[in-house]
Amino acid sequence: MQGNRSKGDATTALFFVMPTMILVCVLVFFPIVKAFIDSLYKSSLILPQPVFMGLGNYGKVLKSEIFWQVLWHSFVWTLVVIFFQFLLGLGSAFLLNRDFPGRNIIRGLIILPWIIPGVIAGMLWNLLYDPQLGMLNRFLYDLNIIQRYVTWLADEKLALFAVIFVAIWKGFPFSALMYMAALQGVNQELLDAATIDGAGRWGQFYYVIVPQISPVIRITLLLTAIWTFNYFEIIYIMTNGGPGNATHIFPTYIYNVSFRQFRFGLASTYAIITFVILLVFSLMYMRELDKRELLD
Amino acid sequence: MRLHRWRSNDYIRFFLILLLLFFVLFPFFYMVSTALKTEPDQFRSPPVLFPQTPTAANFRQALEPKFIRYCINSFIVTISTTLIVISVSIFSSYAFSRLRFRGRKFLLKIIILTQLFPLIIIIIPIYMIFTKVGLVNTYLSLIIAYLAFTVPVGVWILRGFFKGIPYNLEESAMVDGATPLQAFLLIVLPLARQGISATAVYIFIFTWQEFMFALTFLSGEKMRTLHVGILDFIRQYGVNWGGLMAASTLITIPVFVLFLILQRQFISGLTQGSIKG
Repeated sequence: MQGNRSKGDATTALFFVMPTMILVCVLVFFPIVKAFIDSLYKSSLILPQPVFMGLGNYGKVLKSEIFWQVLWHSFVWTLVVIFFQFLLGLGSAFLLNRDFPGRNIIRGLIILPWIIPGVIAGMLWNLLYDPQLGMLNRFLYDLNIIQRYVTWLADEKLALFAVIFVAIWKGFPFSALMYMAALQGVNQELLDAATIDGAGRWGQFYYVIVPQISPVIRITLLLTAIWTFNYFEIIYIMTNGGPGNATHIFPTYIYNVSFRQFRFGLASTYAIITFVILLVFSLMYMRELDKRELLD
Repeated sequence: MRLHRWRSNDYIRFFLILLLLFFVLFPFFYMVSTALKTEPDQFRSPPVLFPQTPTAANFRQALEPKFIRYCINSFIVTISTTLIVISVSIFSSYAFSRLRFRGRKFLLKIIILTQLFPLIIIIIPIYMIFTKVGLVNTYLSLIIAYLAFTVPVGVWILRGFFKGIPYNLEESAMVDGATPLQAFLLIVLPLARQGISATAVYIFIFTWQEFMFALTFLSGEKMRTLHVGILDFIRQYGVNWGGLMAASTLITIPVFVLFLILQRQFISGLTQGSIKG
């Protein structure tokens, strides 16, 4: 009976799972393999026939200055963004955890930046950052923080942090949502017991709340790191990697190399390198899910 | 004593919430304000907070026929994608949540992996293939490209909902002689209605938002989706801020209202995939 059942299972499963797996193979694995093959060729608009390079593209990329710049920007961009999204997300989750009149409306409003399209967020902040027309300069000038209007997005030193700020603003509501859900699940009895044992607010936070929500924190950090690393729109819209290459991260740089310069071979090389970097994060995320038995 | 301490805490909390709201909402206020400004007001420097003489002219620009067309394009692509994703992933996610077969966990890991890898890596080869077969600038090209990453997301979220339905219901149906397929169609599917709609909402918003593929695959004047189309307000001699902000306001309001109505479904779709099993 048992054997019969799992045999029936296997046949049904085969039919049920097949469409998804075919899609994944055709649309994901095949393109990745093709990208790898393309990365072995030199190609451009003036080269009608791509030239086989072996791993030559990889050597060229690793020796180029721009690769290390883009890697560094991607690194700073991802770390700073997820760190502040974590702080702001956890902070607002705590602020909005206890019930008060109007809480639901405020919670809904706080989600706003996250649900608007990245294009709109980018353009909106382009307006706010505008040296002449933007509100940011006016505020800071009126408050005497700056002495003359700053060109936020045209300054090589400031531009990366200007776009980072927007990414934090746009993405922190997701972390807030996750931490709110996690705080709802914190065991109230344990909190009460800690209070009886004389724990103050920080004691409660450190010994009772943090251990209970730390799996959600880990998962959220990994997920936001992966998304941020891959995030394309904000930078594409706001600076398109400029001034110079000061704000290029992998997705925007690769997009430019392929769809502006049409050097698909080189772009594929970068894409494969990005893929390998992200694989590390992805495997960590998977291990986290596995530990929580979410895969069973 | 204790009462007093709580009060001062409440003041701090109140102040912090106000600060948070200002940080989040000020850009939106300025978006609407700019949308209502006349042209001279838009180009005042230093800028003014409020429109001096509010005007609806910008909104008329944002409602030009070509933008309506962009909006329809977005709907065509998003709705088709959502329908296909749901019908494909219903069966696969059921198999992953219920049936025992060899390689289940391995395939599940692949499903997750495909949600995480950089999309920039598949856009280049897919674009080259679509150019060769002449698919670029058709709705179909974008829909196919979207399936690459929405189907795995759909399978993963739906699987969580199916797991929440008690197994003994189907079991007793099968004891009574139903085949697994019948048990699935007649018992499980009706019970999973809410989960299916939550997943559909999530996929819809996910697709509606997408920019990079839409920018690349539908570049033709008539084919653009809404979020690519609003870049028309960026002109050679500068940005038409009033029109752009009016369009942004018109896009944001329905998204926000929809979100408020479907908040529960959306959040359950979201947390289903990452926190719960």
